[in-house]
Amino acid sequence: MQGTGVFQGDSDDLTALKAGDSDAWRVVLVRYGPSLLAYATRLLGDRASGEEITQDSLVNIYRTIDRFDGRCSLKSWLYRAVHNRAIDEIRRRKRYVDVGDQGLEDYFNAAGRWRHDCPGWDGLAAKQLDDKRLLGKVREQMDCLPHAHREVLFLKEVEGLDSAEICAALEISPGNLRIRIHRARAALRAAVVEA
Amino acid sequence: MVYIKCRDVVAKISDIIDHEASLMTRMRFYGHIMMCKNCRRYFDQFKEVHALAGKVTADDLPPDFEQVMGAVMDEIEGHKDA
Repeated sequence: MQGTGVFQGDSDDLTALKAGDSDAWRVVLVRYGPSLLAYATRLLGDRASGEEITQDSLVNIYRTIDRFDGRCSLKSWLYRAVHNRAIDEIRRRKRYVDVGDQGLEDYFNAAGRWRHDCPGWDGLAAKQLDDKRLLGKVREQMDCLPHAHREVLFLKEVEGLDSAEICAALEISPGNLRIRIHRARAALRAAVVEA
Repeated sequence: MVYIKCRDVVAKISDIIDHEASLMTRMRFYGHIMMCKNCRRYFDQFKEVHALAGKVTADDLPPDFEQVMGAVMDEIEGHKDA
């Protein structure tokens, strides 16, 4: 069962992790290591930093596993640790890209109707890029989005975490997640379609 | 049926895609989309980019991935032995 927002593993697994059982930790690293590394790399923008942050985070998780109380899934807890460490590093480098004030309101007049025609492709058949190039463009633009947009898009669309897992990982409410997901998707649409 | 503005239609798209909109919202949404060329175009673009975002895969593992995880395991096993 997934999505209940609580620890889903066998309680023996958690006991083994807390006891420092290296086989249990090896399973965790094999299962989640690749995704955590990909997430850190996406946030930081380069692989070397992603590796360093993932390594540091995992060692720190091992040292602080006693604090894990099972109120969220282990997966969310791992993502939260990597996320917080990565954001600290990005802020330390003064590279954190915040979400701008520009919103959807620009499209509409005071009556809530389109001010001009919707920009971008006019229907799917009119698009000029083939699917492979378009996918490349989407990927490229995802990496250029503000961090607050990038993190929710990556966790939801690429890693496939459910809403409860993302809320636990980012420590945000379901309502806040819905708003952030929508804004992130809208920003990605604008970056891909209107660029 | 109560009229829904273009701005509100656009704001509801993620709820529609994620199947989190109520029946009434969906009825108003699709009723509006049928009639409004601009909202229909925005919705089509949004859906296509959303679908493509779902096809973006995590980066391939770096060649030294084993080494990265190995260093973590060394720390764990070293700590255990200590």
